[in-house]
Amino acid sequence: MSQQSGKLGIREYVSIVILMVGTKPTGDLPTALYSMVQSAGWMIPLISAGIFFIPLFLLVKTMMLYQNQNLFSIIQKLFGKYIGSIVCFIIFIISSSIISIDTRTYTNIIRTFYFTTTPNLIIYSILMLVCAYGAKKGIQHIGSAAYLVVYYAVLSLIIALILSFQDSNIQGIFPFWGPGKLEILKGSSKSLYIFLDFFLFAMLIPNFQSTKDFLKGTWVAYICVCIQISAVVLVFISLFDTSLGGIAYPFHSEIRYISLGSYLPNVEIFFFVIWIMGAFIRFTAFLYINVQMFCHIFKIKDYEYLIPAIATLYLLIGSIPETPFDVGLVIKPIITNVVGPSFALISIILWLTAWLKGEFKHANNKEMV
Amino acid sequence: MKKRLFKTFFNELNKTPPYNEKSNELEIQLKEQDISTHYEQSLTTFKSIFSYPQNTDIKVREFTIRSLNRRAFIIFISTMVDHKSIQDSIVEKLIENQVPSGNIADIISYPMERTAANIGEITDYICGGVTALFIDGDSQCYIFETTKVRGRGIEKTDNEIIVKGAKESFNERVADNIGLLRKKIKNENLIVESKVISKRSRNDVFLVYEKDLVNDKLLQKIKERLDSIDSDKILDLSILEQHLEERPRSLFPTILYTERPDRAASYIEEGHIILLMSNSPSCLIMPATFWSLIHSPEDHYLRTPYGNFIRILRFAALFVAVFTSSLYIAITNYHVGMIPPDLLMAIAGTRERVPLPSIIEILMMEMAFELIREAGLRVPSPIGPTIGIVGALILGQAAVQANIISPIVIIVIALSGLSSFIISDISMNFAIRLARFLFIFAAGFLGIYGATAFFMASLFYLVSLKSFGIPYFAPMTPHSISSKDLIVRHVPFKERFRPGYLKPKDLVRQRKG
Repeated sequence: MSQQSGKLGIREYVSIVILMVGTKPTGDLPTALYSMVQSAGWMIPLISAGIFFIPLFLLVKTMMLYQNQNLFSIIQKLFGKYIGSIVCFIIFIISSSIISIDTRTYTNIIRTFYFTTTPNLIIYSILMLVCAYGAKKGIQHIGSAAYLVVYYAVLSLIIALILSFQDSNIQGIFPFWGPGKLEILKGSSKSLYIFLDFFLFAMLIPNFQSTKDFLKGTWVAYICVCIQISAVVLVFISLFDTSLGGIAYPFHSEIRYISLGSYLPNVEIFFFVIWIMGAFIRFTAFLYINVQMFCHIFKIKDYEYLIPAIATLYLLIGSIPETPFDVGLVIKPIITNVVGPSFALISIILWLTAWLKGEFKHANNKEMV
Repeated sequence: MKKRLFKTFFNELNKTPPYNEKSNELEIQLKEQDISTHYEQSLTTFKSIFSYPQNTDIKVREFTIRSLNRRAFIIFISTMVDHKSIQDSIVEKLIENQVPSGNIADIISYPMERTAANIGEITDYICGGVTALFIDGDSQCYIFETTKVRGRGIEKTDNEIIVKGAKESFNERVADNIGLLRKKIKNENLIVESKVISKRSRNDVFLVYEKDLVNDKLLQKIKERLDSIDSDKILDLSILEQHLEERPRSLFPTILYTERPDRAASYIEEGHIILLMSNSPSCLIMPATFWSLIHSPEDHYLRTPYGNFIRILRFAALFVAVFTSSLYIAITNYHVGMIPPDLLMAIAGTRERVPLPSIIEILMMEMAFELIREAGLRVPSPIGPTIGIVGALILGQAAVQANIISPIVIIVIALSGLSSFIISDISMNFAIRLARFLFIFAAGFLGIYGATAFFMASLFYLVSLKSFGIPYFAPMTPHSISSKDLIVRHVPFKERFRPGYLKPKDLVRQRKG
């Protein structure tokens, strides 16, 4: 009996997106933003969202031309067999390195904050094991699990933020423009990688109930997510103020800091549970997308058997850096600076090619007929 | 069809003879024939088929029909028939009738009459409690449905107890069970279809559904599944349940088993399919989702706020039953900082003298609790309460005093044990109790991270479960139209839709306005 027969509905899709992109500020993102533009860090998600809107809009528009085809098949169609395959392969390499580094970052967080004596490898391999198992179940089931988790995840995030209000100071956001408007703009263009997942979701189009779901879900989730990220960064800035630049993982510092009244001083485990649930979903979906990419490039039909191998590969790649500092401060900036602009560029070129080839006219003609 | 069945049967025999089986070819050939018109021949045939008189409850009665002046005999199984009606409306009428009439139907006043000629068919009828009348010179045999099987009456439910609402439950007589359903759904579209599923004991199953609601594909699927069962005997519905399930080794059930006719009726009205079987005081409801296994009929009988209260209570109990023990282990072993200092001191104080690690403590007490529970179930009812007292008092109190267990563990176990009773569905109850042990191991291995990782893996597993093609968490995810009767329910008149995941022929229960 086939377990992968199901299709992705709009609710499930939006849940996956919120868990994948919306949980980013619980990692090291706020620190990165703060060190870039200081007190104006909360503006960056909004402005990058504005900038990324153009390539994303063009991408979605191009995708809509072809019903039920994924990103890679369209890239190969528009760019030709050879260039297309090379572009696809580059995208796969980039997203593979992102998942390796992100999983490693999460492992570092778990180890530094909660399981200081447990070996990294054990935490890491359990993370990848669960993700591989989930990815094997197929995207519909990942979506269902995400939908069951997402309400609690968002609710707990909101509670965590509200609990920190009493000690935060809204004046931390001043000076309003931080180091200057130009710097913010520069920082925003560097931070496009926040939204790169949207680019990757175009891989999932054949798995949707209808392409309209993808269109609608993308924009709903896009708005939700950029508000969510911006709000979280804003709260962190007002809570930690200038010390945010020196805190590696502000979300975890924050949930250690807050308390439920004087009787329950340490409630971080409660938030940790829900955070890690979101993280599992995030990497499961990410892993699934990566495996789909791999299968498309090398024309493999049964992706199920590939998942454990690729998960192990990511585990090994993620284990290469020796310290969390190597991951967060040396390797990650290189990738993040490259990824955002290059994916935006690919989207725009994709649309341009389609436009020059006259695909849009074709589609119009088809509609007319 | 029948020929093919026999053919495959013989092929099976020829292929693998592990020991010398006695061939029953002669009997099978005999059963394929029609009865003979000669009185003596049919008499010997049926006497030999039923091993008369070695078989003590087979009764053969020979007599002469006076008005026709012909020899006749009736044959029946005395333990399965209604003696009085045989005597009154068949035998007496035949013997005493004076009016010469060739038509048996005019003589006998018994209401249900039919004729048959095939020996195998007649044999099956007689096994089912029917009286067969053979008359010299007739090529047909007369069949009277005199079946009267013995069993208990309709009683109160034992396992799914509710305070408000109907109390009657199914019993072992399938005719009663169908009657109970018909009593609740007075509609000509309620179909009761019967199907023979096993080869040797010839157990039959009754599919009950509403013709104008049920999705034909689903019905077809279930029928195919029933046809594909290859077994010589299926004595009970609970065994059939295991034959039908897609994942019989899974921890979680995918078919709802209930003994309440009101519950069955409400599912029929939603477009589900019900299976009944003789000798089983219950029914199977298919397909079943996670929600239907968690809900109780009382949720709907109580007024909306009360019903929702017990439902939320039940969800809380579900989490308490599964996670309390593992949470205790995780927190005391890995995340001590989470406990408020005063409480931490108290726990540490009680644990001070206990030599065992907390996971052993918990496992010991969980095992003890399960033992008490199982023992309490199996002991004869007069001793039952004593066992409970022995278990609770002696084991709990003494274990604490002997410094084997810390008192807080008793609280944890009692809480999770008590909560597990709230899930009334027996399969779900087992699933939760077993899942609890798995979570204890996961938490013992890696604290809250291990438990959460295991929880996520099981969540992935659960969402991928399907009951006859229906996802386990439908209609929550994947979403479909329903009356949103999931975690909380609406007032009854707002529940306007039948569950959309079943794709019923008529989705809307009540139109607006």
